[in-house]
Amino acid sequence: MTINRRSVLKGMAAGGLALAGGPFANVRSAFAARDKELNILCWEGYNSAQVLDPFRKSTGATVKAESLTNDPTMINRLRAGETNVWDLINVNNPWARKIMYPEKLIKPLPRETFEPYFDKMLPQFKAPYKWAMDDSGKELLGMCQRFGPYSFVVNTDKISRKTAEEVGWDLFNDPKLAGRYGILESDDWNVFGLFVVAGIDPFKTHTPDEMAKFEETAKRVFKGAKLIGDIAAMNQALISGEIDLHLTGGTYSVSPARADGYPQMRGITPLKGPMAGGKGGIAWIEVTSLVNNPQLSPLAETFLKYVQQPEVAHTVAFAEGTYNPVAQMGNPACFKLFSKTELEAIQWDSLDEEMARSVAYDIVPDYDQALDLMTAAKRVRG
Amino acid sequence: MTDLKDRKPILQLVGVRKTFNDFAAVEKIDLDIFEGEFFTIVGPSGSGKTTMLRMLAGMEAPSEGNITLHGERINDVPANKRPTCLVFQSLALFPHMSVGQNIEFPLKIKGVDAASRKARALELMAIVRLPASYYGKNVMKCSGGERQRVALARALAYDPEVLFFDEPLSAIDYKLKKVLEKELKDLHRETGKTFIYITHSLEEAMVMSDRIGVMRAGRLVQVGTPEEIYAAPVDRFVSEFVGEVNVIEVTRAGEGWQGVDVPGAFRAAAPHDQPQAHSAFVVIRPEYMRFLKDGEAADNMLEGVVYNEYSLGSRIQYQVRVGEKVMLVELSRANALPAAANRNVRLGWDVADAISVKA
Amino acid sequence: MSTALIDPTLNNTPLPAVPAATPLGARFAAAWAAAGTRCALPVVVLLAAGFLAPLVAIFAYSFAPPRSFEVFRAFTFANYAELFSLENTVWLSFAWSIGFALLTCAVLAVVAYPIAYGMVFLFGRWSSLVSVLFVFPLFVSENVRLYGWVLFFIKNGVLDGSLKWLGLGGAPTVLYTPGVILAGMVYTYLPFMLFPLTLGLSMVPRDLIDAARDLGANRFQIWREVEVPLAMPGILIGMLLTFVLAIGAVSEAKILGGQSVIVISHDIEIAFTYAQNWPLGSALAVLVTAFIGALTLAVFAKLDLDRLLGRR
Repeated sequence: MTINRRSVLKGMAAGGLALAGGPFANVRSAFAARDKELNILCWEGYNSAQVLDPFRKSTGATVKAESLTNDPTMINRLRAGETNVWDLINVNNPWARKIMYPEKLIKPLPRETFEPYFDKMLPQFKAPYKWAMDDSGKELLGMCQRFGPYSFVVNTDKISRKTAEEVGWDLFNDPKLAGRYGILESDDWNVFGLFVVAGIDPFKTHTPDEMAKFEETAKRVFKGAKLIGDIAAMNQALISGEIDLHLTGGTYSVSPARADGYPQMRGITPLKGPMAGGKGGIAWIEVTSLVNNPQLSPLAETFLKYVQQPEVAHTVAFAEGTYNPVAQMGNPACFKLFSKTELEAIQWDSLDEEMARSVAYDIVPDYDQALDLMTAAKRVRG
Repeated sequence: MTDLKDRKPILQLVGVRKTFNDFAAVEKIDLDIFEGEFFTIVGPSGSGKTTMLRMLAGMEAPSEGNITLHGERINDVPANKRPTCLVFQSLALFPHMSVGQNIEFPLKIKGVDAASRKARALELMAIVRLPASYYGKNVMKCSGGERQRVALARALAYDPEVLFFDEPLSAIDYKLKKVLEKELKDLHRETGKTFIYITHSLEEAMVMSDRIGVMRAGRLVQVGTPEEIYAAPVDRFVSEFVGEVNVIEVTRAGEGWQGVDVPGAFRAAAPHDQPQAHSAFVVIRPEYMRFLKDGEAADNMLEGVVYNEYSLGSRIQYQVRVGEKVMLVELSRANALPAAANRNVRLGWDVADAISVKA
Repeated sequence: MSTALIDPTLNNTPLPAVPAATPLGARFAAAWAAAGTRCALPVVVLLAAGFLAPLVAIFAYSFAPPRSFEVFRAFTFANYAELFSLENTVWLSFAWSIGFALLTCAVLAVVAYPIAYGMVFLFGRWSSLVSVLFVFPLFVSENVRLYGWVLFFIKNGVLDGSLKWLGLGGAPTVLYTPGVILAGMVYTYLPFMLFPLTLGLSMVPRDLIDAARDLGANRFQIWREVEVPLAMPGILIGMLLTFVLAIGAVSEAKILGGQSVIVISHDIEIAFTYAQNWPLGSALAVLVTAFIGALTLAVFAKLDLDRLLGRR
């Protein structure tokens, strides 16, 4: 549980760091070769001691990992000049091929070394896997591991899984449920969620009418929310009965509650929706890439291989904070490490069908405008 | 001053005692203070005089006994409901107020309108000899003497029946102190109010007071006029408190007395309050001690050597070693002993020059 | 610091007795030679790097084109223009923050005054124990304490659960409301009001209170005429400290309030994270900083620090 969320001060410090990052990094690289250090910018999990300590022990390297809980911040850290600080960046699927590679923030991996790993992953990751490749299909841009469906979460004691899947996102349009739901504070995902609640595919350029619909939906949905908060707050509110469901969530957010003995809390992927092909859900797949660092640590590739090992992959899946399926579960040697309780926590029983009903997380072309509308909607709810 | 018998008591203490935890700061005090008198409580620090004052002013309640004002019990009447006012040792002037505002404070509390307040403040400033131009002056920028006057004017503005003073002159230099003592005495006469004054300096008490109460270890050991205290101290403590004195411890030997710390036989009266006392202290003031000329006799005589002389201005003090003891002799400059240093001398005094106090 | 600037001849020659018309280099060398200057260097570097640099960066960013990282390379008022545009509702966040800060100050002044009074005049040797009790929560992270509140007030939580168990029908809903945000802020910032107030009141000599009472003043008159004016530096410092902290508060609104209210710091945070609009966030931060700075200067203009520190 990450209680200590980013604070304003931290945000401000980042500004100073970005300013100072460049020169300091240069000074350092002038003095020492970087074969005994590795810096990872990642989502929570890869920064845990369970994952990093064995690697530190075997390589004798100084490994620094900073975890953030949204993609745009991490991308912008690189844009602001931190490419000469970090060696690996772990973000969701679209950023590598659509943003970071075209902007030269990351560099490709040697295909012959890393492609064989994809063959041992779950079937949908068979090489060449779209999100790991560049647009031309020639370059391998990153390795996959954690993934999961991410639409919304319900307490199935209050709303059955069947009802939730059939009614889908319209639950949030139901006036009877106003005051019965929460909203997880992942604002980027909420932009997707609110588009879908408004009956609009998020991953395209939107017309003014669609934006107006989005704004109206955002205001209404935020007004009806019992609370907005982090994952811990959502799970606490679900368990205590303050809320029956919450917007934008899935295995990633609800697995800690399920693992704590509340299997009635469940990530839901609706049967249908406005996304391409009538799909009802959205899923994410993490891609870990080499940063385009002029002094890239040779340990970066070593680390990517390290986390593909079955035992480490299992550790990553159950690193502190959240529990998630990993692509390496396609390898029987890895799968057998998962206990029945662990499979239960990550909703293994319905994972295949949920992924099949979901489109992959993608870039929203007019995200900035939508986010501003949403922030304004949040402001007027009080 | 008129005869005290004609006066009515204003403040009366009956069996007043004050204890803090197990410590008795003030022990069983009975005292009448009369209307319009200038009464001074004098004692060394720790003698309980400040505690006594705080009880009289209403800032402490007595643990036992009664305090009455005009015959009414006021033990539990808080300070702000008593027609009394205290001038603090620290003066306790309000630093955020001007001279005028300080003086007007009690009037403002009473709800007097601004114009009348100012008129009264200026009146009082004239009485305490503060120039009217000081009305708006920052009180923290006033000198020590000016602050005294402000504090006095502020207390008078309250128009109390009894004014208390808690050593207000202790931090003032000697010359200014003399001036202020006189002014205070004048003010007492002009206002006709009862003044109760506290000090550790008997000299200060002697100058101003109608009556003095000497305190020691929480008890009033003697109450009397300055003359009584001076002429007939009740014990060695009081006699020594009055000023530098020669004290000889004696025990009865037949008709006369035998010295304890100075060998020899002495002629002296018995202590007036203990005629049958077996032992006593004979107290001789240095100015009553004299050098005897060759062949001259006195009721009591001692031989000694002069080893020091001090000038006291118009007087000279000689320290004379008599055996183990040092005796003091004071002469006026006109009668100075020539070539005094290391001179063998004879000291003498008559029975009438000495006082005997109980041991 | 470059030693090349020091005139090398000065190392061996004593400084001229009359420093008239010494060249710049020599004067610099003289200043550099002063032990005070050298001792102050670490502090200067620390302040420059830790305090000044971030402020300069934020200030510079606020003039960069929106959603860009073109700091120091481009200049525009676009971010400020956007914040002051009539359609922008960010003033709501400002209003909430200022409102909460004012209310927190007001409530705290009323709540903390009697405690401070007790600590200075009544509790005697117990007052140090009381201060420890008020300081103690500061050792626990603010967020952890606020989550504790959530556990206490949440449905079926400590309060609600206990009341239900006792058959008293559960607790009213307080969580996720502006009221509980205010309560949380009052709780969080109590020490920051209490201790300056205690300092302020301890500057009121006991004699003055006794004197005022002796001159006829009742409790209220003493308070109004003597205590408050003399404790004013402490009161102002407490108010200012609380206000400045409260206007930047974000955890209470997020954790206790369930983001039922968006405060200004939260807006800044969104700009720096999900919106990735560092220039806009910086412009907001500059506005907040300017507001607080102006307020602080106004208060300190009325405040005599010498008196506060007991030098007079």
